[in-house]
Amino acid sequence: MKKNTMSYKVKQYVMFAGPATVLFCAVVLLPFVYGLYLTFTSWDGISKDKPFVGLTNYISAFQDTAYWQALGRTAIYSVIAVVLVNIVAFLLAYLVTSGVKGQNFFRAGFFIPNLIGGIVLGYIWKFVFNRAFVALGQSLSIGALSTSWLATTNGAMLCLIIVSVWQYAGYMMLIYVAGFMSVPKSLAEAAEIDGCTKSQAMFNVTIPLMRASFVQCLFLTITRCFMVYDVNLSLTKGEPFNTSVMAAMHVYNQAFTYKKYGMGQAEALILFLICAIVGVTQVYIGKKGEVAA
Amino acid sequence: MKKSISFAMATVMALSVTSAGSMTALADDVTITIFNSKTEVQSQFEEKAAEYAEKTGVNVEVYFSTDTVAAHMATRYASEDPYTLSMVDAKDIYSLAPEHGVDLSDQDWVNDTDYEISVGDAVYGFPICVEARGVLYNAEAIEAITGEEFVPENYATLDAFKELLETLVAGGMETPTGIMKEDWSLGAHYLSEIYEEQEDVDAFITSLHEGSADLINNGKFNALMDTFDVLMQYNYAKDSAIAAEREVTEQKLAEGEIAFMFGGNWDWSVINAYDYSEKMGMMPVPQNTEDGTNTKLVGGGSKYFFIDASDNTSDEQRQAAKDFLNWLVYDEEGQSFLVNDCALVPAFSNNALEVTDPLGNSVKKYADAGALVPNYNYAPDDHLSLCGASFQKYLAGQIDRAGFAEEIENYWKSTTPVEH
Amino acid sequence: MDDNARAARKKKISHAIMIAVLIVLFLLFITPFLLVVINVFKTKGDITSNPLALIGEHGFTLENFPKAMEKMNFVTVFTNSLIITISATVLTMLVSSMAAFVIVRNKWKACALLFTGMIASMVIPFQVLMIPLVSLYGGIFGVLNSRLTLILMHVGFSVSMATFMFHGAIHTNVPLELEEAALIDGCNRWQTFWRIVFPLLKPTIATVAIIDAMAFWNDYLLPSLVLGRKELYTIPIATQVFYGTYSTDIGLVMAALLLAMLPILILYLFLQRYIVEGVTSGAVKG
Repeated sequence: MKKNTMSYKVKQYVMFAGPATVLFCAVVLLPFVYGLYLTFTSWDGISKDKPFVGLTNYISAFQDTAYWQALGRTAIYSVIAVVLVNIVAFLLAYLVTSGVKGQNFFRAGFFIPNLIGGIVLGYIWKFVFNRAFVALGQSLSIGALSTSWLATTNGAMLCLIIVSVWQYAGYMMLIYVAGFMSVPKSLAEAAEIDGCTKSQAMFNVTIPLMRASFVQCLFLTITRCFMVYDVNLSLTKGEPFNTSVMAAMHVYNQAFTYKKYGMGQAEALILFLICAIVGVTQVYIGKKGEVAA
Repeated sequence: MKKSISFAMATVMALSVTSAGSMTALADDVTITIFNSKTEVQSQFEEKAAEYAEKTGVNVEVYFSTDTVAAHMATRYASEDPYTLSMVDAKDIYSLAPEHGVDLSDQDWVNDTDYEISVGDAVYGFPICVEARGVLYNAEAIEAITGEEFVPENYATLDAFKELLETLVAGGMETPTGIMKEDWSLGAHYLSEIYEEQEDVDAFITSLHEGSADLINNGKFNALMDTFDVLMQYNYAKDSAIAAEREVTEQKLAEGEIAFMFGGNWDWSVINAYDYSEKMGMMPVPQNTEDGTNTKLVGGGSKYFFIDASDNTSDEQRQAAKDFLNWLVYDEEGQSFLVNDCALVPAFSNNALEVTDPLGNSVKKYADAGALVPNYNYAPDDHLSLCGASFQKYLAGQIDRAGFAEEIENYWKSTTPVEH
Repeated sequence: MDDNARAARKKKISHAIMIAVLIVLFLLFITPFLLVVINVFKTKGDITSNPLALIGEHGFTLENFPKAMEKMNFVTVFTNSLIITISATVLTMLVSSMAAFVIVRNKWKACALLFTGMIASMVIPFQVLMIPLVSLYGGIFGVLNSRLTLILMHVGFSVSMATFMFHGAIHTNVPLELEEAALIDGCNRWQTFWRIVFPLLKPTIATVAIIDAMAFWNDYLLPSLVLGRKELYTIPIATQVFYGTYSTDIGLVMAALLLAMLPILILYLFLQRYIVEGVTSGAVKG
């Protein structure tokens, strides 16, 4: 085997990663580069001429206070949502893999929220927050529940977090379940025979072996939360008074509603850079300590 | 394992091949595509398109999108796959049509409407309907309490209107009004009336840009805000005005739980899904003013067609599109389609059909009497969202009238005027 | 009481607590879905006036289903969705598991570059790519309005995450010794991958398949950009007809939602078996 020759490497790479590379470059990389170019123009999104304006869009982006407020808000939302989603998802995965009766039934149930998307999701939760909670609060005279949470700035944020946890926990549960399944039961059992308690076995044996699942789930939740758009749109639309506008929504509005395409694109790129730095760092740290089988 | 993989591969190949054949239109037929941004009439449009095709041999395909009109247009032009006819808002005509639209000034219908949109000497926008804003009322609910016929003209002033509200409250309707908290209703519809009802609208907007307008001492601003305060005071959702749901508010109005709501004739498409009262209508926003605006609705043409001028559309398609517009204006069936099927108020004077829905009927009455204050179509693109948010703060009680006036003034000072 | 009995009792109690926690969580998760199920059998007026009632004032109605099916041209759009989702999911599985294999097992620069690029690309907001994408493939290459284009685009967009997931799975769950043994038995890399590695990835394949299939099935934005012709529409695009600017026919929306989610639910229940089966059984069969 001539494993070190260039032609062997190229052949191996093309054979295994060729299709993925081509599709990835064609669909993601190429448009991305073109999009990058557009940030240096003052294009309105539809006109034929795309006047080149250099760094103007980036300068305006840095001066756009509404954008930085939206970013800050997104960061707060993301931190809370990421932590909660993963705790709930891990807990769910643990419970539905522990051999409880009817665990398949439960798994299907927790997964269902993922199947409700778009406007239906917004409609249902709006109803829950605006009316079901309020009716409950008024009849039990619980002050905190008797007016709609969606009407206040912090309340709207809380609602977004609740819906995100509800939606993503079942999804991340899937990955954690796969993680639990990939850890041979015999290992934890062996640890218990060696005198570990159940929780010690969990923390010292099972969790370290599930590192890949944690890295994946954290990465997915971080990026999803940072780029949250659908839930934002269908649940709050930025209300009340634009105080629940997250970064992606601001970018979208800037580009299409306010017709400043170049600037919206530039702001989206800054959002991308922040996400990329956070996400890649997290993956890098996570992968570094991964236990190979 | 290998077997199942090759099976999977084969399946994918087969599926991909069967799906690869893209559609090509038949050569001898002309097909035009229409973008419909009035989604509430989508199914009527599709049905009529099929009939139209059968009659004329021109295939008409009607499309819609839930994306914003501007974003959708942007993607269609970026992919060089524009619609033959696109239905857009007035402000989109100004931004799109000079570059992408066909000049329609040689068309006959230009003489039969007051609502077409021209840029320079060229006519680009074909008006689809007339829409107007005002206070919607449920006369049946009012009359049930007052015991006498409800004549909206008697309540043109705020004083009279407030008296009526008091009577309703005394008669058992504790909260006779509803307010839509949507930013477009507050920002683009109610707030805009403050500009539109000024004596010289352009001069007023210029003074806002320059920072010389003194909103808090402006008569029109205060007159309309006084009325808004009254609407707020009697709002059924007073405690959480900012969380009121539009569907619920409209249902309450339709079924007579409340009597008044600021809105427009487009609200009919929501109201008619409920057990509505036949005796509804629209009246001018009551105000204590002498300038006569409290006897007029605010509105005008709404939604415009333009025809694509690019190479992606053939001359035959352009001609077919022009024919279609003429059919809407001059053919009896086209007229009936707009008025009876879509329940729109026609923008053409030769269309004499009776508008059937009560709100549209009110609009038609005011329009025919020349009692419409025209729309102001040149607000910057972010006006609705940013000023709408300020208005929501006011509705939620987070800022007072002076604070609201200041935010609006600051907004205008920070924007550049839209050329027109 | 001896130790065994005590332990058994303790186990029983913890089991009961677990079931109780699960049921509470289950109810929390399922309630919004139940709201959909309840309301789909009501008229629009009844939905708005009292969404909590089991049966609306105007009685139980099934009319939302046939109405929704007719309005969205159900058979056509369902077939389109099925073709696109199946093709794109299978392709994604194959393409990305292969890529992940070569990336994990070789420390080549090209691999590192591709993997970093893929991870970074997962945080690109789609709105950034939207216009450039249609400019390139519509304006320049003119290949829009085809299912094949959409399938390949779906694969291109999802290959990053799938590769990322397979990367983790191969790294932790596929023992190098097995591959070395296969090599000694005379397998080349290609054979090793399909005979040894791929079967071991079953739980991840099932997980990624369900995640991707769901994403493709429910995606609205990309198909709406690529498929501009009615006969090519997928379910989510067809459903948009119910969302008016000024009114939403929520009963029809919910009926369409229920009709659309069934296939995914079935797929999930079917694939769940493989997720649960775990690695060890796969290794034995391989």
